[in-house]
Amino acid sequence: MTVVGRTWDRLTIPGKILAVVIPLGAALTAGLAILIAVVGGAVVQFLADNLPLVRFVVAATIVLLMTIPSAFLIIYMEMKVIALMNLRYGPDRVGPFGSALSVVHGLKVLMKEDFTPTGADVPVFTMAPVVVYMSSVLSLLVLPFAPGLFGQDFNIGLLYFFAMGGLTVVGLLMAGWSSFNKYSLLGGLRSAAQIVSYEIPLTLSVVGVILLAGTMSLNQIVLGQAGSLFDWYLWRQPLAFVVFFIAVTAEANRTPFDLTEADSEIVAGFATEYSGMRFGFFFFAEYVNVFIASGLTVALFLGGWNAPFNWPWPVTVGLDPGGLGIGLLLLLAIGPPLAIVVLGLPFYLLNSRIRFWQALVIGFVLFNVVAVGAVLGLAFLSFDWVVGLLWFMGKTYAFVFTFVWMRGTLPRVRIDQLMGFAWKWLLPAALLNLFVTALAILVLKR
Amino acid sequence: MTTTRTPFDIPAHASSDDPRVTLDEQLGVFEPIPPYPPRTEREAEFYTLRDGEMFVNMGPQHPSTHGVLRVVLKIDGEKVVDLDPVLGYLHRGVEKLCENADYHQAICYMDPLEYISSLFCEWSPVMAFEKLLDVQVPRRAEYIRVLSGELNRIASHALFMGWFALDLGGLTPILWSFIERDEIVEMLAALTGQRMLFNYFRIGGVNGDLNHEFMSRLGAWMSKATAHIDSNQALLNENEIFVRRARGLGVIDTATALQMCMTGPNLRATGVPFDIRRAHPYSIYPELDFDIPSRTEGDCLARYLLRMDEVRQSLRIIDQCLHQMPDGPVMAKLPRLIRPRPGRAYAAIEGPRGQYATYAISDGTDQPYRMRIHDPSFIHLQSVGLLTPGNLIADTMAIMASLDPIMGGVDK
Amino acid sequence: MDRALRRRLEARFGKVLTGPVRQRHDETEIRIGAGDVPEVLLALHDEPDFRFGLLSDLAGVDTGTSMQTVYHLWSDSSGDWLRVIADGLSRDDPRVPSVTFLWKGAEWMEREAYDMFGITFEGNRDLRRIYMPPDYASFPLRKDFFLADDASRSPAGGVRHMEQTHGPTNAEAGARIRQAPAS
Repeated sequence: MTVVGRTWDRLTIPGKILAVVIPLGAALTAGLAILIAVVGGAVVQFLADNLPLVRFVVAATIVLLMTIPSAFLIIYMEMKVIALMNLRYGPDRVGPFGSALSVVHGLKVLMKEDFTPTGADVPVFTMAPVVVYMSSVLSLLVLPFAPGLFGQDFNIGLLYFFAMGGLTVVGLLMAGWSSFNKYSLLGGLRSAAQIVSYEIPLTLSVVGVILLAGTMSLNQIVLGQAGSLFDWYLWRQPLAFVVFFIAVTAEANRTPFDLTEADSEIVAGFATEYSGMRFGFFFFAEYVNVFIASGLTVALFLGGWNAPFNWPWPVTVGLDPGGLGIGLLLLLAIGPPLAIVVLGLPFYLLNSRIRFWQALVIGFVLFNVVAVGAVLGLAFLSFDWVVGLLWFMGKTYAFVFTFVWMRGTLPRVRIDQLMGFAWKWLLPAALLNLFVTALAILVLKR
Repeated sequence: MTTTRTPFDIPAHASSDDPRVTLDEQLGVFEPIPPYPPRTEREAEFYTLRDGEMFVNMGPQHPSTHGVLRVVLKIDGEKVVDLDPVLGYLHRGVEKLCENADYHQAICYMDPLEYISSLFCEWSPVMAFEKLLDVQVPRRAEYIRVLSGELNRIASHALFMGWFALDLGGLTPILWSFIERDEIVEMLAALTGQRMLFNYFRIGGVNGDLNHEFMSRLGAWMSKATAHIDSNQALLNENEIFVRRARGLGVIDTATALQMCMTGPNLRATGVPFDIRRAHPYSIYPELDFDIPSRTEGDCLARYLLRMDEVRQSLRIIDQCLHQMPDGPVMAKLPRLIRPRPGRAYAAIEGPRGQYATYAISDGTDQPYRMRIHDPSFIHLQSVGLLTPGNLIADTMAIMASLDPIMGGVDK
Repeated sequence: MDRALRRRLEARFGKVLTGPVRQRHDETEIRIGAGDVPEVLLALHDEPDFRFGLLSDLAGVDTGTSMQTVYHLWSDSSGDWLRVIADGLSRDDPRVPSVTFLWKGAEWMEREAYDMFGITFEGNRDLRRIYMPPDYASFPLRKDFFLADDASRSPAGGVRHMEQTHGPTNAEAGARIRQAPAS
């Protein structure tokens, strides 16, 4: 046995791990340094030349990653809000007020068995959830969250949005057809009829806004509503707002237009035969669609990220951390421990049952709360996109709440009533709105 | 996929539950067509598909069949052409069991029949046995029977409201009405000792006298019942989507309803004020003052609104029972072992769904010779086949829910 | 007891009645032959003297020696339930005309009686089993059909062990079965 072998045997488990990790890291670092030295300039040059591409990839990744937590949040919100409307408790076990339940649901869905029915068209059956989820995420890409915070600013943004939204129906039809189940088939056909019918009033109701804004870029439309509450398109296009909201509810398959997954009629519609994460994709896509529908309504009619009144901001904060020089380092070193002690001290002094380390833990938690609050407040004051994001999210979640509220209150409409409503009421209303808007613009511009 | 994957030899009459059958795609076993030649004219007609039609096998596990019912729908697109309810998934043979139990034991088989209005299932056999025995029930026991029965009627109608709304897609009313029902059920549990399967009515009276907990719960509930019921109904009655879906749906006229042997709210919704409490009075109902609501439309909305009117009349009856409750015993004096003289008796009462009736034959032993249980759910479920064709799939559930069948009673 | 109803029934159906009109409590009972069921019920349904518009119940009964079908009717012209017993159906092949031409809703009740007793209702267009599986061979409510744990009622079985499982079965030939009261 060699020296190396004996030494290796004597090492503890953390020692063995370190003995592997440290040389490996060193080798990798050296390799990376060599790689950067050789081809780094070219890569940086390439990335700099194709900045929009980089931006697109980064934005797409962020948007894709963002969908899961926002879906979790909406699912939790729906469970809790509907529970309160039903005079139930709702989720209250996992996490504070049960807020981690939707995460647990997500994990459960991941771990469940994922099976395919006999007789299903396997490739189509597998691809259908992907198509549905992809179309949701892709349409999220053009949604303007805040000034400068959006995936891509197309000048045909709205058109792209409806094109991607329309892809959903392909996925639902694929799911309905390939499942080899009659309930699925009925659900798929219903979704095709419903989404295709409501696409028309949906798109027509937005044309008025496009005429007013003079552009199809969502970013520009939001910028056109800058100012106060009364600059929003809601006041200039009330009829379009109503039509749009109803049509977008139908597009997102939400109550009272949730015929595609009407559980008391066709079990779960297109999703009847799905299980495991494939069902999870449908489930998440539904809630992402709710978010998208709310966000689009906000962007088009409620001013997007604009505040409803002229907030006296930005307040200039005369704080320049760089000016402190070496003092900044000192502050970072001394500040936190001092703050922890200062915040924990009252608990130690005032309650004799709390030990000093418990007081320190309390102080640490309090310090974190204060520090995070301070940093967020600073960000709120310093960067206008934070303010914009807060306003946008606030309005969007107000609309998400409206969707949940409707789910808790309304029964489901019948398929003939649904189609009749789209063609007999929404379409004429949207056309009327379009003509009146065009006429007004002609008269006023002249 | 054209290959036949049948590694086993499948008998021609194999049940569709046989795992070997589901492997085979060539036989078309995913169709709910029975694996034997049609036996009747109607079966042959139903299980023949015309162009563009298909079968949908709704149940036995389905969210809105109110129990374990299987309905084979023949659909043309969204339209229901015809349907064939297949019963028996919950059949326990209660009538046969009763023939092998003595008279007291037979009553406790009645509770699980219509498990949300159990007192009415007990009431008619108890009345039939009392007729066989010529027993006079004490007046206080009659009052307690009417009081608890009307409470049970309200609980049953509350659940009807919730289920009807749920089958139309509304999530909230079922939970609100379960709250109402839960208070009543707790109240009855204080009186009878059980929440659902009470076994409270006995031959010659009731099992126990009113107690303090029941009375205090009843008083607390009565003070707010009207307000609760009104607010629950406002959620639906003022809902445009609900009203538009229920109005003009599943219309049945008086003559057809009588032909279909309908009773109860479903018959009264067509304009006939037939209520056994007035038409053929029993118990102390002749002494009580209440109205028999009726409506003339005969559609789902009328059936729903009529039941809601009945809830208010039941509240009136409860109020009068509490005011007129006499003192006295709650059980007639009877031996433990009952051997009625040979004879026949028929007793029918008005339950929340219609006529609950029992035809009992005694042969002089301690066990009934024959006990026929007539259940309104069974009668009303068969008119789904009459009302539904021509409507949409979604309306099938609405019509079925508006007739309010309970599968425990349908399958006996 | 409605004495007037008794007199009217005796006057109208005196020829077809196979037994006396009996009355007890609020029930009036007549007995007719199986072949007379359609005429009698049609008359009871339509004639202004009777107007029994509601078929309250339809039941089959196995008396141990023969089969019966029992109809309970309600009318606003009388305070009694009217019980019509169609008596004397053979136990081997019980046949009786259907009343679905009068009450369409009797269809399922007749199906139930067919399922439980094997009574064939001639004219019912959908006479198949309703509760039991289609390939079931016995008629469970007949008196010669014994329950699994019915030790006291099955003379051949004697006392059975609880652990043994017995399906409900038809009685063997010559087994003693319960008989209905003679009246």
